[in-house]
Amino acid sequence: MAHAEVETVDFEPDDDDLMDEDVGDGSPSRAGTIPRLKSAITGGGSSSTPKKTKGRGFRDEAAAEADRSARMSARFDSLDSEGGPGPERSIEGWIVLVTGVHEEAQEDDLQNAFGEFGEIKNLHLNLDRRTGFVKGYALIEFENFEEAQKTISEMDGTELLTQTITVDWAFSKGSFKRRNIRRRSPRGPRSRSPRRRF
Amino acid sequence: MAEGEDNGEFYLRYYVGHKGKFGHEFLEFEFRPDGKLRYANNSNYKNDTMIRKEVFLTPAVLKECRRIVSDSEIMKEDDNNWPEPDRVGRQELEIVMGNEHISFTTSKIGSLMDVQTSKDPEGLRIFYYLVQVHLIAELFSSYDFQ
Repeated sequence: MAHAEVETVDFEPDDDDLMDEDVGDGSPSRAGTIPRLKSAITGGGSSSTPKKTKGRGFRDEAAAEADRSARMSARFDSLDSEGGPGPERSIEGWIVLVTGVHEEAQEDDLQNAFGEFGEIKNLHLNLDRRTGFVKGYALIEFENFEEAQKTISEMDGTELLTQTITVDWAFSKGSFKRRNIRRRSPRGPRSRSPRRRF
Repeated sequence: MAEGEDNGEFYLRYYVGHKGKFGHEFLEFEFRPDGKLRYANNSNYKNDTMIRKEVFLTPAVLKECRRIVSDSEIMKEDDNNWPEPDRVGRQELEIVMGNEHISFTTSKIGSLMDVQTSKDPEGLRIFYYLVQVHLIAELFSSYDFQ
């Protein structure tokens, strides 16, 4: 295996003005298990089953790794919220995620299906660049919490263009408990009556 | 083959960047298992400032990301035969899904022509289209929060 020339790019950590002072950003320390992740994901404790690994990234030099951890441990602009589950409001409104969107769906289809709940401030329907078809999800923004909540309640699990869609919040106030993922159904066990912030 | 689609960990990190006459220009984001999306974009061209944002995504969003990754079958690929990072630039893709952990590095890919003339056009093509997922990260981080 060619190991010698893996690093031809010259990343010097000291050249980096990326490093802000507060390194203690909450990035958990790396788990001591091998292999380590480049940037810190949930440190030790979470699933510690050994992983099958693959890729040149595991053979990287220390310099690249130091650079990487500097990038990710710097200060990030984040929400000023008390954290925990529950939807988060963007400046202009509330954003719901629709998945399972039929690949031939057009914006009009979504506008027709969701427009009855309120005025749609923003609609993103991403295309798969490779196929030209819809990628399968859409983001829809409503001005009011009630409009978004009603959309979720009434449209989640329904059919759009012969395909079942799920509708849920896109942004959360904080991290969600891992337990919820495992037994999660589209409606989820967690509360859908968050505090409103205006 | 169980790829742990609905259970187990999911983590995705993508980096693309280079060091040039404008300094270290890069884009990097992470989808973390707890729902946090961190996004950083640094371009020193015309002294743009660094953008660093983080938001929390719902399980619904992570689930969709997993689906996209799973559908791409990138976890079956290997970067053995991909061009190595070079002076022009570097890309990194690190994904944990279920009990598999990949960490691929390669050079920047200018176009599909680069893909087609590489030693592993099939694998590199999958990588090339999957990292369009950076558009997802950009989309989510483009929303402003108070």
